[in-house]
Formats: sequence, structure tokens, C-alpha cells
Amino acid sequence: MSSDWQPRIVGFACRWCTYAGADLAGTSRLEYPATVRLVRVPCSGRVNPSFVLRAFQRGADGVLVAGCHPGDCHYTSGNLFTRRRFSLVKRFLEYLGLEPERLRVEWISAAEGQRFAQVIREMTDDLCRLGPNRKMREEP
Amino acid sequence: MPRIGVVVCWCGHNIAGTVDVTQVTAAAAAMPGVVYAEDYKYVCSEPGQDLIRRAIADKRLDAVVVAACSPSMHEATFRQAAAAAGLNPYRVEIANVREQCSWVHRDREEATVKAVALVQAMVAKARREEPLEALRLPVTRRALVIGGGIAGMQAAMDIADAGYQVLLVEREPNLGGRMAQLSETFPTLDCASCILTPRTAEVARHPRIELLTYSEVREVAGYVGDFRVRIARKPAYVDWDRCIGCMLCQEKCPRKVPSPFERDMGFKKAIGVNFPQAVPNRPVIDREHCTYFEKGKCQVCVRVCPVEAVDFEQRETVREEAVGAIVVATGFDVLAPAEFGEYGYGRYPDVIDSLAFERLNSSSGPTGGVIRRPSDGRVPREVVFIQCVGSRDPDRGRGYCSKICCMYTAKHAMLYRHKVPDGQAYVFYMDVRAGGKGYEEFVQRTVEQAGALYLRGRVARVYPEGDRMLVRGVDTLSGQTVEVAADLVVLATAAVPRGDARELAQLLKVGTDAHGFYNEAHPKLRPVETMTRGIFLAGAVQAPRDISETVAQASGAASKVLALFSQEELVADPLVAVVDETRCAGCFLCRPVCPYQAISTRVAGNREVATVNPGLCQGCGACAVACRSGAMALKGFTDEQILAEVEALCLRTGSPG
Amino acid sequence: MEYRYFPGCTLHEQARNFDITARESARELDIALVELDNWQCCGAVFPLATDALINLVSPYRALASAHAAGFDLVTLCSGCLNVLRRTNRLVATDREAREKLRDFVEMDYAGERRVYHLLEVLRREVTFETLRSRVKRRLTGLHVAPYYGCLLLRPPEEMEFDDVEAPTVMEDFLRALGAEPVDYPFRTECCGAYVALREAKTQAAAQVVRSAAAAGAELVVSSCPACNYNLERVHPTLPVVYFTQLLALALGRDGAFAGQVPDPTPLLRGKSLLPEVS
Repeated sequence: MSSDWQPRIVGFACRWCTYAGADLAGTSRLEYPATVRLVRVPCSGRVNPSFVLRAFQRGADGVLVAGCHPGDCHYTSGNLFTRRRFSLVKRFLEYLGLEPERLRVEWISAAEGQRFAQVIREMTDDLCRLGPNRKMREEP
Repeated sequence: MPRIGVVVCWCGHNIAGTVDVTQVTAAAAAMPGVVYAEDYKYVCSEPGQDLIRRAIADKRLDAVVVAACSPSMHEATFRQAAAAAGLNPYRVEIANVREQCSWVHRDREEATVKAVALVQAMVAKARREEPLEALRLPVTRRALVIGGGIAGMQAAMDIADAGYQVLLVEREPNLGGRMAQLSETFPTLDCASCILTPRTAEVARHPRIELLTYSEVREVAGYVGDFRVRIARKPAYVDWDRCIGCMLCQEKCPRKVPSPFERDMGFKKAIGVNFPQAVPNRPVIDREHCTYFEKGKCQVCVRVCPVEAVDFEQRETVREEAVGAIVVATGFDVLAPAEFGEYGYGRYPDVIDSLAFERLNSSSGPTGGVIRRPSDGRVPREVVFIQCVGSRDPDRGRGYCSKICCMYTAKHAMLYRHKVPDGQAYVFYMDVRAGGKGYEEFVQRTVEQAGALYLRGRVARVYPEGDRMLVRGVDTLSGQTVEVAADLVVLATAAVPRGDARELAQLLKVGTDAHGFYNEAHPKLRPVETMTRGIFLAGAVQAPRDISETVAQASGAASKVLALFSQEELVADPLVAVVDETRCAGCFLCRPVCPYQAISTRVAGNREVATVNPGLCQGCGACAVACRSGAMALKGFTDEQILAEVEALCLRTGSPG
Repeated sequence: MEYRYFPGCTLHEQARNFDITARESARELDIALVELDNWQCCGAVFPLATDALINLVSPYRALASAHAAGFDLVTLCSGCLNVLRRTNRLVATDREAREKLRDFVEMDYAGERRVYHLLEVLRREVTFETLRSRVKRRLTGLHVAPYYGCLLLRPPEEMEFDDVEAPTVMEDFLRALGAEPVDYPFRTECCGAYVALREAKTQAAAQVVRSAAAAGAELVVSSCPACNYNLERVHPTLPVVYFTQLLALALGRDGAFAGQVPDPTPLLRGKSLLPEVS
């Protein structure tokens, strides 16, 4: 592994909470590693597990699925589905042998810019320690 | 392949200071499908927007990607600019290279690489985009208000005063709701009917309010701006158009039955009105207790009626109405205290609930406003009030605070003292919650001036001893068990949803909480709206609340209706779910996950498929994930588009996919 | 109708009349009560500490034995019912407790069986309607105060015996026998049996009996030897009997009242429910 290797994180962010929280991190000028790229979705409940699998297949080293705190969903119940669904997806990925740190499911509200930055820092640290995702990556 | 244009904004130094915009522009130009790439200092400025408009025209662009600030800032700006140049506004995508890139990263090279990736993702998404048309819904400028209590009347008045037609549906024969049963109101001790009666009269004669009392909503179809509602008018067995309200029939009717309005402490006739000031002042025959309906003879009312208005053949009639918005103000019920055997309600006549105590206080009540206990009509010398009967009691299924009981119990203790100066009131309480203007002061007056004895603790048992009731409880402040011999025991029973609240909620497609109270769209920011657009809440249907709050909320709901009616037509985001019927297997796994009940069944050929009502759908996408066959797509966020973004974001080097 | 019968300790000693009359009545009603082999004391108290599993070994063993025999369990004593039913529920719902008890007792049991009180068998299986038709000697004119005490009913979510504040099963039972149940406020109050302070205990029991007497009761009926012991001692004239004694009497037997103080037989003779003796 070369010393300047940086992990790549694909993040799915619900537009009402986490995407706005990431914007707040920007307006507050909170610095965090340039490892994350967000996909804006209407609700974390829109995130099909196949999106996450595809990201890992295409070489993402980590995936973040993030939405409103349970109980605060803009659509009432979307993030409750996310919570249930991804507790299974996580177990499935661990069963496949993927390190659990590679998939994070987080509740980050529009007011939690600090927390968004913190999560990205933590994930980046974890992934730097783990190194590239070789397990699920499909070699071109 | 669609022709895509990319415009990269410098945002002065904000983006260009960290991201090498020229490099991003150059990289964008090389992306497949991109026929135009340019950068500009401030794209949101008028010349910047002009740049977009000209590019659309000159380069015949099918889609535009703007790399700039967050879409929450200028997505609408750029969509309008595109629309002005003839491009479908939903073919504009924003790559967020400011809030989520230049402002949070320091390393120029890393930030530039990331910015390229973000642009690439949006180009990939834009390539897979369809033009979408904003949904335009007509507005029927006429509101339905369900419930003719203080909440419904307030909402109806506000809407009608602003110039729109209102249909006010009330289940009872008369207006007034719960408030009509109250004696005085806290914290001012206004007499309830003194403030209510003028209001009911105003509502009844308002030229733009159509009153449908003794009626119920049976069916609700359609969506915001265009609801179709079926309303059933129950048979009163009196032709109200002929009736002149002389009430001779009530006077002469030989049949007396306990009156639910008086909490069974007083009597009503089998024909008549609930209370003398009822509006409309028209009688109804109580079919279950009418001698004619039971035995086929009597007809005293027919004989005494001067205008031949009694009509035993009357049937239920159903009408269909079109309305643009609905205000639900169906109020609350009080818990039947029979659940609480330890207090002996139902077994001992001198254990009553608070609503019954209101009737005892009311000058139009069964005792003419003199507080007499039901068993022997004696004026009670000692009264025990027990608070939180059913409220704040998770063991019996209701963990919530009913909110109004602390205040009305203080009011009762005070009114009792006013009427029985040598009487003693005891109040067993858990906490006294008196948040509200003038509320705490009122409770203090009850304690200090009316001399009510507040005992902090629960009551374990109420049982008769001699002709009094022994109340055994605990005073947790002194740690002693206490026994009070009382002449009357009043239970402050929990406010609960109406018995059929859930059925109505289903008709309206409005969510309820665990208890059956209706859910607001957002507990803080959208407290009078429901998750179904065009349906609003007022009063205790949502949660227990007092009169002043109810009225404020009703006016809030009315203002939401007015905002809706002020629009020429309703524009809805076209980012809704749509079913590919050829792929839909008809499993309907999508239906339970939809928070808006927007999905219904449709017969396509010889099978059933799902279909989405775009007026109800809010575009959350839960159904698209639940769908096993990939038939459900969320416009603007299709699987294909999101996967294309994912692939673009994962690319390390090389050409974009 | 066959059950395994768990008498509990007192029913072979102090509360022998309870046991005798229950067996007689069951025979009359074609309920086969087969005494559980090798049963031992249920422990009398369901432990409040969640880790005090050792106290549940005995009831677990009784339940597992009934299961091994292939029958549900019937008991008479409120205390035994309380311990057995709550243990059964715990075994059915708490995997950790179940596995520990299984490993300790070395019998497999996972809450498959039900535990019934004889009153429940009468209500569910026999039905009070049938019972009424089987009565040979109607207890007409006998004013009886049904006394539930605490353990039959509480905790309600675990016992599911009857409405905890307004129970009716004893009243329905008494009416089926032709007796007149008396309503009084303390019928579900504790008799004080578990209170270590002597004074508090007698006060609690006295309150129950006084209140029953004031309501016009001539007799108190209960289903718990501990309750009977306490109640009998605080009032010199109001007899306290087990519900099975009245049941046996109504079914034409003599009710077995030997050795009870206060003695209920003069009252019953006075009502011509027992033959005069020389």
C-alpha cells in the first residue's frame, strides 16, 4: 500500500437531514478528509442495499448510509425501514467477510454538521487502518 | 446520447480558491455526452444565468450540470433559468462543490479530484434523466370541516370570513361539541355557554357556511384540491325544514330516558334537543327509546306538532361533495372509568367523572347548577378529586398526560368552594401541571383562597362506609396513608380519542399514534398539517388540549387552508413513484411501507397491479426499495440514476462510465 | 378431564379439609385429579430477585413432571397457583432462565403445559351453568363473602385470573351453588399474611373480616390456607371456609368441617344445609 493511499467513501445522504448536515459542515468550514462523496437521496429509506453492494463492487472502501434520527423522518417512517434493513445488510456483509467498519449507518440531523465531519474523520481513520477493499471489489 | 452542458462556478474565491476550476472544466469537457463545458465567476449572477440560457439555445443542450453551491441554495434559480431557455427544469442537476468540497477540504489537488468526481456523478445522472412535468392540480375552493365543536367552528368561521365556502359536518344534532357540556372555563371562569352560544349562532347564520348536523363522513376519495366526500345525514324523523323549533314535541313526549349529554344524571325525552340553547334548534327522535318505534303506538309528537314535521318514515340520505381541503376537528372522549374498579365507578353512584361534575355545576344541568350528589341529592360537604385517572399510567396503556385535568380540577375545586362555602375539597395529584397564561396563578388561588387541600399521592381504593365514601390513599409528601370520608368523589379521567377515531383516520388516510390521536406532519414545524396534503388538524383530535390552544390551532389550520386556496392551481413536484405495470407482480409489498396510502390496486387486463396516486405521493421512495420486481421507480431518483452516480463516484482514474 | 394435581404442603396438614373436599367434589364432577408423584413444596413465594432462580427449581420440577406425564397441572392454593403460574410463564418466555433450570433439574420443559386453579377448571371446563345443574343441595339463603386476597389476582398481567380490581369468578361460583355472594370493599385486599409485623397483620385481616360482617356476610370463603389462618383468628364468630367445602356441601357431601374455629357447622345446620346431629 502506498503511503499516500486514501480511502474512497460513498455516502448516501437523505436530503432533509444528513445532506443538509453536510452542507452545514461546509458553511461552518469544518475540515474533514476529502474521502467522501455523497449521493443525495430523498430519504435513507430510498437506499436499496444493492446500491451499497454496487459501491463495494466498484471499489468503494467504505459506504455510509445516513438519514434523519429515528422518529424524525421527514416521511415519518422511512428511516425505520433503513434501520431494520441495514441491521440485516450489515450482518450479511460481515458474513461475507467484509470488515464491519466498512459500512456505517448513521443518524445525522441537519443541525449536526460537526457530527457529520466527525463521522467522516472516524471512517477515514478506520479505513486507513483496514486498507483498500479487496474483498468485494471486482477487478476490471 | 443526450447533449449535456457543464457550467463550473468559481463562486469568486469560495470555490476557485481550493478547487482548480479550469481543470474541472477541462475534465468535464472530456466526459461522455458533454458537448459544452465552461466556467464562470458567479454563475448565480444574471450574466451567469444568461450564460446557461445561451448555452442551452446555442448548443441545443438536453441537460445541464452546474457545479456550484448546494442545491438547497440555487437549484431553483438554475431550474428557472433553464426553463426560460426552453429546457425542462428537471433536467438541471447540481454538483455540490462548495459546501461539500471547497469549504471542507484544504488540499487543492484532493479537492479538485473530488470536484471532478462530483461533476462526473451528476453528468452520469443527467444522462439517464427524463424530462418531467410538474404536476398541476386544480383547486376546488371549498373546505370541509369535520366536527362542530369549538375547534371546527373556529376553523369554519376563519375560512368563511376570508370568502370561501365551508361545509361544516357535525355528528350530533347540534353544534357545540364538548364545550357545550362545560360549565365555566379556566383560568377566567367565563361561563362556557356565554362564550360558545354567540359563536354557534354566528356559525349557523354565516352565509358561506353550510351546516350539516346529525351527519357523518362516510367516504373520502381524491387528493388535495380535489377531494370527493360522501356525507350521510342520519334520519332525525323530523322534517327540519318544516319544523319551527317550538319544542312542543319535547314537552309533551311521555318518554323520559337518561341523557348521555348529562352523563346519565339527568333525563331527556325521546324527542328533543340535547340542551335548550342548541343550534340548530331542531329536535331529533331517539329511535332506540321512542315508544312508537318500540311498540308501534304513541305518536304524541305527531299530534302536538303544529306544522306536521314529524316523519317516522325518514331515511338516511347520502350526498357527495367536492372540496379542496379538509379540517379534522373531531375532538376527544373521556375514558370510561369502569376500567378502574378500585374507584368503584359505576358501582357507587357518588363516584362520578369530571364531565359529570361539569354538568352538576352548569346552570342548565340536571341540578340547575346546585352541586348535589347523585345518590340522595344532598349537597356534599367534602369532595375528593382524583387526578390522573388513566393518564400517566403506562401500566394501563396510557403513558401520556391528558394536560387539561390539572386545570379543570383546580377549577372544579374553586367552583365548589364558591357554591358550598363551608365545603372542603381534597385533590389527590401526581404533579400539578399548570403551564399556560395565568394558569399557575389560578391553581394558587384555588389552594390559597378556595382552601382546596392538595395531597400528593395516589388513591388505592374508594369504598362506601355508611352513606359516605371512604377514600384511601397515600400522601407521599408526609409518607402517611390517608383516609378521607367524602360525600362525593370526582375522577379526572384521561382524555382519549373518539371511539371511532381510527376508522375516520383510515378514511382520511391520516396516521394515528399508538393511542389513536391523529399525527401531525411535523411535531414542531408542521403542527396543524397531516402527512396527507390538504388535510389539517384542529383541536383535541391530535392530542388533549384546552380551549385556548384549540382555538389557536384551529385558526392555524384555517390559515393553511387559505394559503392553499390562494393558489391558482397547485403545483406538485413530479418526483413521485410510478409503476411499470408490465413488471409489477401484484404482490403489494409496496402498500404497507407507503406512509401516505398513495398506492392502490388497479386491474390491468386479467390481473391486479399497483398504481400510485401522484397527488398523494410525496416521493420518499420507500416503495421503490420494497418492490421485489423492480417495477416501482421513483422519478428523479431511479435505481439506474443512483447506480450511475455510484459508479461514477467509485472511479479512481480512467474514463467515466 | 384429567389433570395432575399439586396439593401443596398445607393441604396435607393444616388445610386437610381443603384437600378432602376438593377430591370429593372433583369425583362428583368427573374431574380426574391425579396427585403428582413426588411433589414437593412450591416454595410459597415467587422470588422478587430476577437471579434467584434456585427458588424456582421446585416449581419447575413440578411443571416438568406434569409435562412428562402428559397432563396440565391443577392446584387449589392461591400461593401455589401464584408460584407455579409465574414460574411457568418465566420458563416459557425467558430462555436464559429456562436453560439454567433445565440444566439444574435435568428435566426438559419449556412452558408447554398450563397451570389451572380449580376455580378456573370449574369456569372453563365444567362451566358454572353445568355446575348449577349438578348441585344437589342448593345453598339457599347463605350469605357468603368471597375473599380473593392478593395472590390469586396479582400481578394481573402474569396471573390473568380475573379483573384485578373487580373480579367475579367467586361470585359466579357461589351463585351457581345457590348461595348469595355479599359485596364488600376489601375482598381483594391482602390479609396480611406476608407482613412480618404482628400488629399490621392482625389489622389487615381484621379489616377484611369486619367489612365482610358489616356487609351482612355469615361466612367467608377463600382459596388460600394462609388467608384462612389469618382471618379465622381475628373474628370470634365469622367462620372462614374453603370454596371446595361449600362445593362439596352443595354436591351432597358433608363438606368436612372438622377442627375449624370458628366452627361453621352451627350456621350451616341453622340453614338446614347440614343434618342435625345428636
